[in-house]
Amino acid sequence: MTTTDTTLPAPVIGWLEAFAGELDDCHEQAAPGGTVSSPAGWTIASAQRLPAGTPVPGTSGTLAAVRDAPPAGDPAARVFSDALVRLHWRLLRDVLDGAVSRLDGRTSEGAPLLGRQLVRGTVADVALALSETRDLLDLPRPTAGRRRRIHRDLVAAGRTALVLYGASSFAAEGPGRLLYAAELLGNTYLHTGEPEEGAGRE
Amino acid sequence: MSEPPLPRRTEVLRSHVRDAAAQLRDPGMEIDRDPTAIDRWLHLPAADLMRLSTIPVEYLDAPLRIDGHTYDMRSCLEHTVTIEELSYGDAGFMLACPGPLMSGVAVDALGDDKQRHAYYERLSRPEATWTFFGLTEPAKGSAATELETALTPDGDGFRLSGAKRYVGNAAFARLGVVFCRRAPGPLGIEAVLVDTRDPGFRAELIPTVGMRGARISAITLDGVRIEREQVLGYDTLRPSRRGLVGAIRTLQRFRPVLAGTALGLTRAVLDHVRRERPALTGTARGRLEDLRDRLEATRRQNYDIASAIDAGKVRSDRIAGVKTRAAELAERATLAAADLLGPASLLEDPWLGKLYRDARAFEFMEGTGHIQRLAVFQGVAKHTFLA
Ligand SMILES: Cc1cc2nc3c(=O)[nH]c(=O)nc-3n(C[C@H](O)[C@H](O)[C@H](O)COP(=O)(O)OP(=O)(O)OC[C@H]3O[C@@H](n4cnc5c(N)ncnc54)[C@H](O)[C@@H]3O)c2cc1C
Repeated sequence: MTTTDTTLPAPVIGWLEAFAGELDDCHEQAAPGGTVSSPAGWTIASAQRLPAGTPVPGTSGTLAAVRDAPPAGDPAARVFSDALVRLHWRLLRDVLDGAVSRLDGRTSEGAPLLGRQLVRGTVADVALALSETRDLLDLPRPTAGRRRRIHRDLVAAGRTALVLYGASSFAAEGPGRLLYAAELLGNTYLHTGEPEEGAGRE
Repeated sequence: MSEPPLPRRTEVLRSHVRDAAAQLRDPGMEIDRDPTAIDRWLHLPAADLMRLSTIPVEYLDAPLRIDGHTYDMRSCLEHTVTIEELSYGDAGFMLACPGPLMSGVAVDALGDDKQRHAYYERLSRPEATWTFFGLTEPAKGSAATELETALTPDGDGFRLSGAKRYVGNAAFARLGVVFCRRAPGPLGIEAVLVDTRDPGFRAELIPTVGMRGARISAITLDGVRIEREQVLGYDTLRPSRRGLVGAIRTLQRFRPVLAGTALGLTRAVLDHVRRERPALTGTARGRLEDLRDRLEATRRQNYDIASAIDAGKVRSDRIAGVKTRAAELAERATLAAADLLGPASLLEDPWLGKLYRDARAFEFMEGTGHIQRLAVFQGVAKHTFLA
């Protein structure tokens, strides 16, 4: 694993630290006082919770990972995975809200960018994905396959949301870094080992 | 995958560049960790190719000659193929290289002979010289015609004040083209050549999620003195033919090259999956084949468009279409790769992790997907896009 960070302004570190704290809450819900490892034996948590871990690339040292923990047993893995997808959902919701207020303040030809129909359509696409994934999350009898599909939809909607920020989403201080962390967590914890049947919407 | 057909001389060039690109993975990883690491890799043949592919033949000691062919990269097709192959090695490395890149095309489009000569004479010297193309501003990105950086008269010259953002290599450059406003409206835009050592110029690197080799930077211009001879085309072009025209021409000429960058990265990630998972079956194999088909189709389209530019046919709707297809394909291919390579692949496979982060850059470079879609729509309305 390599570290790929460069220095970040303080407020962004704040965002990342808050995200790391919420990730720790997911661990806490599933394994009070401990951590939950992925099916392939990886554990990712805040650097405080995993002091012996290696920094996770792209998270400025706020997240750490360790390998070779025995995979978590069923109830803990289920509770953790569910909490993780919900964390991703909340994050995307915030990212969408942030995009809307940013676009309202950015103008072209004297009017806010938010007035452009293409922009409005993109906002609506993300909102529709958020609405559908929330309903999917609330269905009874969740399965690992369903969580993974929801994660895939959240990744796709997240990429659409980032487009709305222009290049500021690609700067390390932008929301792209947080969604990247959520994508990496899903790739680590929610991947069931088989390439996904019926995928291709990526 | 079969290779899209090319004229013989372009094929010779492609295989030559491909050899040079094979060495770029390790330097690319290093530049991702530390964008200044390019300084340690300038001896590589790929860095020399970047120079040879952007400086006109008359300013080179020896032009690029392979198997009896001489290359002068005025050809958009040859430039596109060169950049695609280098990006297969590593797109970040390619973007971090010194040389004229986009600013050179703006100087060609607008500069008079004296300006062009001074610019290329500087760039042909043996020491590495980085340049930049400064169009985007903190408040005005897609709305480039509304840019606010001001060029104000001052005695027999001007002063340049304002800010630019997300400008590749600016924090390391010696020279650059800055688009600025001398008068209201789109025709009041000028392009000026700036020497970054002049008082009032400041630029700093913006850390990014990926494509760190692009070294995008924030520029502050605080009353930088600009002589008339630094205004591109001041003595030779009417004001309405300056500034904006250069920006548009540069971007049109560069979009197939940028599409080539995205397609080189796409091919790299799909080949990586095939190498790591040679025995994929069923749906997984079908997904990979689908992406490879799309890649080949988009490469062919891109070569056709670049050849058309060489023949003097600049079709902005198709140029926009291929840029956006290539950018979206790069993202889809990297997302699929992370899935096909299995759980924790983004943690365990640093090369995949890098391509995955890099691929998001193309959406924004040289205009967002929305803006390209508007150009495609224009082509549909005029019955040119699918003709
Ligand atoms: C790696 C990288 C390298 C770059 N290199 C350079 C460089 O060398 N020089 C340079 O000058 N710039 C460079 N850029 C900047 C790039 O050109 C801009 O990011 C791009 O033009 C978009 O501008 P913006 O980021 O301000 O987004 P905005 O224009 O603020 O767009 C925000 C959102 O609104 C949408 N939108 C805006 N206007 C419209 C409209 N009229 N209709 C519909 N939707 C609209 C956009 O599509 C986007 O979704 C680079 C960017 C990156 C990421």
